[in-house]
Amino acid sequence: MSSAPPPDAGSSVPAVEMHGISKRFSDVVAVDGVDLQIGDGEFFALLGPSGCGKTTTLRMIAGLDIPSEGRLAIFGEEVASWPPDRRPVNTVFQAYALFPHMTVAQNIAFGLQMRGIRGPDADRQVAEATALVQLEGMEHRRPSQLSGGQQQRVALARALVNHPKVLLLDEPLGALDLKLRQEMQVELKALQREVGITFVFVTHDQEEALAMSDRVGVMSEGRLLQVGTPAEVYEHPASRFVADFIGRTNLLEGTTESPSAVRLDVGAVVTAANELDAGSPAALSVRPEQVRLHRRGEAPEGDPCLDGVITDATYLGHAFVYTVAVGRTVGAGGTSSGDRAATITARSETGSAALAAGEPVSVSWSPAATTVVAD
Amino acid sequence: MPPLRRAKPAAAQPTEAEPDAPASPTPTGPEAPASLTPAEVTAQRRRRRTGTLMATPGALYLLIFFVVPLGLITVYSFATRTSTGRTSLSGWNLNSYERIADDVIGGIIARSAWLAFLTTVLCLVAAYPFAYYLATRPPRLRARLLVLVMIPFWTNGLVRIFAIRFLLGSNGPASALSEAMGFGTFRILFTPTAVVLGMVYGFLTFMVLPLYVALERMDWRLVEAARDLYASGAKAFWRVTVPLTRSGIVAGCVLVFVPSFGSYVVPEILGGAKTLLIGSYVARQFQAARNWPLGAALSVLIIVAMLVAVAINQRNSANAERTQGVTR
Amino acid sequence: MSSLGTAGTKRSARHLLKANAWFVFAFLYVPIVVLVVFSFNGSERVNVWQGLSARWYGEALGNTQVISALRVSLIVAVSSTIVSTVLGTAVALALDRYRFKGRRALDGTVYLPIVIPDITMAVMLLVFFAEAFKLIHTFGPRLTLGVTTVALSHIAFNISFVAVVVRARLDQFDRTLEEAARDLYATPWRTFRRVTLPLIAPGIAAGALLALTLSLDDVVISAFTAGPGATTLPVYVFSTIRQGVTPELNAISTLMLAASITLVVASLALQRPRSTTP
Repeated sequence: MSSAPPPDAGSSVPAVEMHGISKRFSDVVAVDGVDLQIGDGEFFALLGPSGCGKTTTLRMIAGLDIPSEGRLAIFGEEVASWPPDRRPVNTVFQAYALFPHMTVAQNIAFGLQMRGIRGPDADRQVAEATALVQLEGMEHRRPSQLSGGQQQRVALARALVNHPKVLLLDEPLGALDLKLRQEMQVELKALQREVGITFVFVTHDQEEALAMSDRVGVMSEGRLLQVGTPAEVYEHPASRFVADFIGRTNLLEGTTESPSAVRLDVGAVVTAANELDAGSPAALSVRPEQVRLHRRGEAPEGDPCLDGVITDATYLGHAFVYTVAVGRTVGAGGTSSGDRAATITARSETGSAALAAGEPVSVSWSPAATTVVAD
Repeated sequence: MPPLRRAKPAAAQPTEAEPDAPASPTPTGPEAPASLTPAEVTAQRRRRRTGTLMATPGALYLLIFFVVPLGLITVYSFATRTSTGRTSLSGWNLNSYERIADDVIGGIIARSAWLAFLTTVLCLVAAYPFAYYLATRPPRLRARLLVLVMIPFWTNGLVRIFAIRFLLGSNGPASALSEAMGFGTFRILFTPTAVVLGMVYGFLTFMVLPLYVALERMDWRLVEAARDLYASGAKAFWRVTVPLTRSGIVAGCVLVFVPSFGSYVVPEILGGAKTLLIGSYVARQFQAARNWPLGAALSVLIIVAMLVAVAINQRNSANAERTQGVTR
Repeated sequence: MSSLGTAGTKRSARHLLKANAWFVFAFLYVPIVVLVVFSFNGSERVNVWQGLSARWYGEALGNTQVISALRVSLIVAVSSTIVSTVLGTAVALALDRYRFKGRRALDGTVYLPIVIPDITMAVMLLVFFAEAFKLIHTFGPRLTLGVTTVALSHIAFNISFVAVVVRARLDQFDRTLEEAARDLYATPWRTFRRVTLPLIAPGIAAGALLALTLSLDDVVISAFTAGPGATTLPVYVFSTIRQGVTPELNAISTLMLAASITLVVASLALQRPRSTTP
C-alpha cells in the first residue's frame, strides 16, 4: 500500500488517526482494519462505491457508530468511546438532516445553545456563519422553504459555526443537480481554505474526489486500499480495483515475467513504470488518453505496440473514443500472436484525422504512463 | 480556532433544486456481534436499560389489566358453578365447553357466525367499489372525501346505532315516510335484518379504510399492462386489481367479522328475542344468569376466533409485502 | 395519474361506481342527519313534527342523572387519556427504537386490546376486578367497582391505541435528525426534548385525542366495570334506549355526536401530513 505522508504534517499531531479500526454489524463487516492519518488542515476524501464502508468510517469519527476494534484519536485524544456530543467534530449529513421545526437561524444556533453559548455572543456567531455561506436574509425561513442548494449551505453553516476541529461531510453534494454540484465543489474548496479546518469528505464520485481533495483514500469492501494525492492514485493505482474505479482505464491481463515486465495474454511483453513480484498474475493499466493510435505498421520503434482493428468509433465533440480489438481475433493480419483477445479503448483529440471502424491500426504507449497492478 | 471569515462572493448563486436523494440506509441495529469492545458493550447495555425503563410501565399495565384478566377468564372457563350461582375455583371440568355443542348455545354461536358472515359480505360488496371510487379521484377531492369517511369512523358508535334505531322504529321517520307513501308501516326493528343492517352501518368504515389504503397504493400501470396484453376491463380487474389488493380485502374482512361476531351493543338495541347473539349471551351469563364459567368459556371461544382471524391477516399481509416487493 | 384507474373502465361502470359512492355516503350520513333534525323537534312524540325547538336540550341538561353521568364520563375520559398517553407513548418509543427483554411479547400483546371484541374485554376485566378485590379483602380493605375501575379499564385499551398511533408517526421519523442533534453537542435527553418530542408531538396529540374519543364512546366495558354511581353518559344512554326512544335521548345523542365530531376534526387536522423532512 503506497501511503504518502499528509502534507503540512510537520511535527503537528494528526487531526484524525486510526489504527486497526473495524466495525461489524451482526455478521457483516462494514469496516475492516483501517489505518489512516489525516493531517491538520487537510481536505481529505474517502472514496468508494456504495457499501464500501466509507460512511461507516465517517460515522465512527463522528461518534455515531462505535468501532468494534481499533484505536481512534482526534488531535491526539483517544475518542473511540466518546459519545458524539463530546467530540470536537461536526457533520454535514447526506440529506442535510436540518431540523424541520426550526428556522434557519435556530438550526445554526443549535450547536452553540447545546454548549451553553447564548445571547449576543451566539447571535454574532450565527450572523457570521450565515454570512459565510451567503444566506443573509433567509434567517427566519424554515428548511422546507429553501432550495436544495440553500439547505446545503444551512447544513454547512450549522456545522461550521461550532468551529469544529474536523468537519465531516457525508456526500454533501449528492442531492444537488450537476451544475450546482460543480459550483459547490469550487465553493467548498474555497471555504475550506478560508476557514482552515480539516475536512473529511465522503463521496462515491471519483471526479469530485480528485477535483477537491488534497489526498484521497480509496475504499472497497471495508478496506482502505490506497491513500495518496489525486495524481498518485490516478497515475499509479496500487491495485486493480483502484485502477478500474478511478477514471477509465484499459486493464490488459497477463503475468509478470520480471518485476517490471509483464507478458500480456494478448501477446507482447511490456515494461511498466512500477514493479511487482515476478511470476504472479497481474494486469497492465493503460489510461485511454495515453494510448496512441497509428496506421498499421507506422508505430514508432521502442514503445510497446499492439496491432489491432478498430471496432467502434464514437464522436464526443471534443474527442474521439475508439475501441480497438487486439489479440487472437486479428492474429491473421497483424503481428499479435497471443492466445487471448482484448479490446483497448483509446481517446484522441478531434482535429487529428478520424479513423473508421474496420481500419487496421497499431496502438502504442509510453511505458512510463502505465502501471502493473496485482489482483 | 480561527474565527470564521466572510467568504468572497462566489459566482454560484443558489438555484432551485429539489433534494431528492434519500439518505442511504445506514446500519444502526444494535445486534450483538461476535466480540465487542467495552465501549460497545456499555453503549448496548445503556440502550437496553433505557428501552426497558420506557417499556416497563406500559408493559406492566398491560400485564396486570390485560394479560392477567385473559388468563383468569381462561381459568374460570374450567371452574364450577355452584347452585347459588357463585363460581367455585375447584373441581376443574370441561362442562362449560361441552355445552357449546348443545342445541341452544350451538344455535346462538351458529347464528352469530352467520350474521357476522352476512355483515362481512355486505360490507365488502358495498365498500370495494366505494374504496375504488375514492382511490381513483384526483388527490384533492380524494382527501376531502376521505374526511367524510373518517368522520363516521370515529364518531360515537352508540349514537350512530341509536340513530338507526330511531330511524327504523315503528313510530320513527322511516316508517312515517313509508306510511305517507302508502306502503304501510314496516317492521324491521328487532329482526335479524335490523341487526345486520346495524352492524353494516357500524362497521362499514372498518372495511372501507384498509381497502382504500390497498387500492391507493396500487400501481395502476399494472392494469394498463394487463389491458395492453389483451385483458378486458373485467378480466384485468379480476386478474390484477383484486389479487393486488388482497391484503386490504383480508384486513377489512377481519376487522368487520371479529367485532360483528362478538357484537353486543347492536343486537341489544336493534335485535329482539329471536336474535340472541353470542355477545349478548356472554353478557347474560355475567349478569342475571350468573353462570360465569359458561360465560368465560364462550369468551375464550370468541378470543380464539379473534386470534385465528388475526393470524390469517398477519400471514396474508406478510405475503402481500413480498408480492408488493416484486411488483414495485 | 390518479384517474388512470378508471381510464380503462367503461362509461356504464363509471356511472355505477359513482352511484354506489353516493349511496354509501347517503347510508353513512342520512341516519345521523335525521337524528339531528328530529332532536330539534318540539313534540313529545318522536314521530310528530311540531316545529323547531331546543326544548329537549333544556330538558336533557336539566336532568341531574344526565349531568352526573356526564361528569363521570369526563373524569374517566380525561384521567384515562392522560395516563394512557404517557404510557402508550413510552411503549411506542421503546418498541420503535430499543431492543430489550420481552420486546417481542410486548409487540404482539399491544395490538390485542384493539382487536378484541368489547364484550370479551369487559367480562375479562369484571372477573379480574372480582378476583383482585377478593385478594385485597384478605388483607383488610374492602373495595368495590366504581369510577376508578372504569378509568383503569379505559387505560387498558387506550394504551394500545395511543401506542399504535404514535408508532405510526415514529415510522416516518427521520432518525438522522437525532444524529445531527447528537453531533451538535446535544445530550441524549436534550436531543429527545428539542428534536424528537417536538417532531412527534402531533402524533402524540392525535393519539391522545383518539384515546379521549374512545373513552367517551365506550359503553360495554364501562357498563361491566362500573359500580353504582359510576354510570357514564353512554351507559346511561344505552340503558335508557332499551326502555324506548325519547326526544330527550335524541338531544343527548346529538350533543354526543357534536362532541365526537369536534374531536375527529381536531384529530384529522393534527394528522394532516406535514413534511417532517426538508
